[in-house]
Amino acid sequence: MSRRPPLAGIRVADFTWVWAGPFCTLQLAHLGAEVIRVETATRPCVTRLLPPFADFEPGPNRSGYYNQYNQGKKSIALDLKRPEALDVAKRLCAASDVVVENFAAGVMDRMGLGWGVIRRLRPDAIMIALSGYGATGPDSDKVSYGPAQVPLSGMSSVTGYRDFPPMHVGISYGDPTGGLHGAVAVLAALLHRAQTGAGQYIDLSQWETSMAVLPEAITAWTMNGEALPRDGNRDPSMAPHGVFRAAGEDRWVAVAVEDDAAWERFATTIGRPELASDPRYATAAARKAREDELEELVTAWTSTRSPEDVTAQLQAAGVAAFTAATNKDLAEDPHLNERGYFVELPHPEVGTRKHAGVPWRMSASDCRVRAAAPLLGADTDRVLSEVCGYGAAEIARLREAGALV
Amino acid sequence: MPSALGHLRILEIGDGVGAAYATKLLADLGADVVKVEPPGRGDRTRHRGPFPGGVPDPEKSGLFLYLNANKRGIVLDLHAARGQETLDRLAARADLLVHDVHTTAMAAHGLEWEKLSARHPRLVMTSIAPFGLTGPHASYRGPDVVMWNAGGVATLNGDPTHPELPPLKAFGDQSGFQAGLNAAIGSLGALFARLATGRGEHVEVSTQEALAAILELTFEFWPYCGLVASRLGAKPIQPLCFVECRDGWIFLCCVEEHQWKHFVEIMGSPEWAQMELFENRLARGANFDALHAFLQEWCREQSVQELYDAAQRRRVPFAPVSTMGDLLASPHLKARGFFATLEHPVAGKLTVPGAPYRMSATPWALRRPAPCLGQHTDEVLAEVGR
Repeated sequence: MSRRPPLAGIRVADFTWVWAGPFCTLQLAHLGAEVIRVETATRPCVTRLLPPFADFEPGPNRSGYYNQYNQGKKSIALDLKRPEALDVAKRLCAASDVVVENFAAGVMDRMGLGWGVIRRLRPDAIMIALSGYGATGPDSDKVSYGPAQVPLSGMSSVTGYRDFPPMHVGISYGDPTGGLHGAVAVLAALLHRAQTGAGQYIDLSQWETSMAVLPEAITAWTMNGEALPRDGNRDPSMAPHGVFRAAGEDRWVAVAVEDDAAWERFATTIGRPELASDPRYATAAARKAREDELEELVTAWTSTRSPEDVTAQLQAAGVAAFTAATNKDLAEDPHLNERGYFVELPHPEVGTRKHAGVPWRMSASDCRVRAAAPLLGADTDRVLSEVCGYGAAEIARLREAGALV
Repeated sequence: MPSALGHLRILEIGDGVGAAYATKLLADLGADVVKVEPPGRGDRTRHRGPFPGGVPDPEKSGLFLYLNANKRGIVLDLHAARGQETLDRLAARADLLVHDVHTTAMAAHGLEWEKLSARHPRLVMTSIAPFGLTGPHASYRGPDVVMWNAGGVATLNGDPTHPELPPLKAFGDQSGFQAGLNAAIGSLGALFARLATGRGEHVEVSTQEALAAILELTFEFWPYCGLVASRLGAKPIQPLCFVECRDGWIFLCCVEEHQWKHFVEIMGSPEWAQMELFENRLARGANFDALHAFLQEWCREQSVQELYDAAQRRRVPFAPVSTMGDLLASPHLKARGFFATLEHPVAGKLTVPGAPYRMSATPWALRRPAPCLGQHTDEVLAEVGR
């Protein structure tokens, strides 16, 4: 039986930019939807303008950031500020099952592409807006950038080293979390449409999706009025539990002793079997009470070994551990490479580069990265003719009017 | 009210956040989710808390109550033949089975994909494993702190002025949530594919891969430039930083030059801001130590809300460092009705995060609280004639 993409025949008009929206549509592309990104050279996606550029040479098609999160999509160049462009956008929406956007609330309405218009163009359309604050409410007109979602959501107030200021998490975490939630909502809406024929509008607030993953902090407050302290890499019940110094310059390894049986295995592995029955450490509560000295004991063992050696020894004994992996470590990780996680597809400007692939495998369906990210506007003519139904002369007129840049 | 997924029956064999969050997303959109727990201790999140007054009680864990609302719960001993037979009957009528219990344990219960799919060809099965089901690390264990490092996220977070401090994980079991989101997407994809093929399939989710997929622009620094990303690298542009106001913390965020100019106006255009050291975003990044000292000095006299409002009025995307109390008191979140209150027979009333998205035709809805351990065992077993 030939393998078929799950979303074969589903077309997505993608008006998103930066990370949250493109990450939402990336999932749909993995599943085989035809995702058409609407872009313009007059104001390219921020990710086209940010490093890393292939071999340090800047260019709108050379950014690893854009090329990672737009794999398997098409791109059309359309300057939506031009009146002629609006007709193209409308025809594209009319021919699409799903419309995705992540502008600030109200921007699509002002461009004449709001839900009221889309649903008339396509009565069974599914439209999703992924904004920072949501489409309604007193703060809906506020502006939101990815990095600001981490503090806004409350995550920064509980993330950080003990007795240090609130911290970030190293990435604009609200963006992928919002994008993935958006993909869940779109897929649920597609299943509902398959049952009933009805489309719908989805209002996603990145602020809210960021709070959806903080239930422990939120319920500690609603239950007990307790603001949880920032506590580094420690855990409320497991100990030892942290990221420990390993041999080498700035090398670290994560170790988590999950229960008393794991403690026994840990003690044996580090050559201190007597610690397993030592009443100072034998129970989780006892270990938690002596966590400072326990961390010194772990560090004494890890700091003379490479993180890979610590990982191999502890995991072989059934104790959770792993190197604090860098991007280079990941790219060279034998396990990820053997699993075929990475994608290396030819790109006309940057050649073949390693990219992160699909985090799940499907046994029967054709689910994969289908192509490298598109050059800006690579599919303009083909989409205008095959999807929007324009003839060659009309396309030439649109181009002359400056709409197709 | 119509629901998007009311036509689906789902089984969850979950022990932690991953599978539970995947099926919560589907239960909240109407799917009938039956959660299978082992006798005695039940799901491990029953023991994670937070608990009222800090007193552990497996029926009162905030994390468990949040993750398992809208589900029915049964207890089955999957080590015993009778439990396995019952599960098989449940699988016969299920559309989807999601688990994050280790595959060796699943196999010991007779729940390998090959066996299940041979008997139930329409079933979709989704397996979440920290390192996936194949490859040299397939048997590795991975609680959150280990996965956050194995996925490459932790090395991106730290304090450049404190290289002695380790890579830092984010609060909570974020790797579980990311795995759960990917599992929900893969599962819904497989259910959509089944509309055309009539057949189920196996979806395998690797938590490590789910995290390696969200490294923003940092992963590609290696294949594109041969550069290793580090938590100790200074941010190229500033201000993108935390400062303390007189009543809390705020995150300053000036990515574009016009945003910085507006911020300087808000500060009353101080003389220091005209110094060459701070003339553009790259210069401000290079001279961040000096910049931070000036900013901190000014901000210490301000109120978070006033500075946030003043910045936002000029379209500058500052954000407060919200405390949980701030979130619960937010007029915006109140107006949107974000927080939901569930009423549990043992734990009582509990306010939890509500709808992560508003679907116009099939709204998110809280229909029932999380189950007590084994609460629906008799009810569900009667449905399958046990």
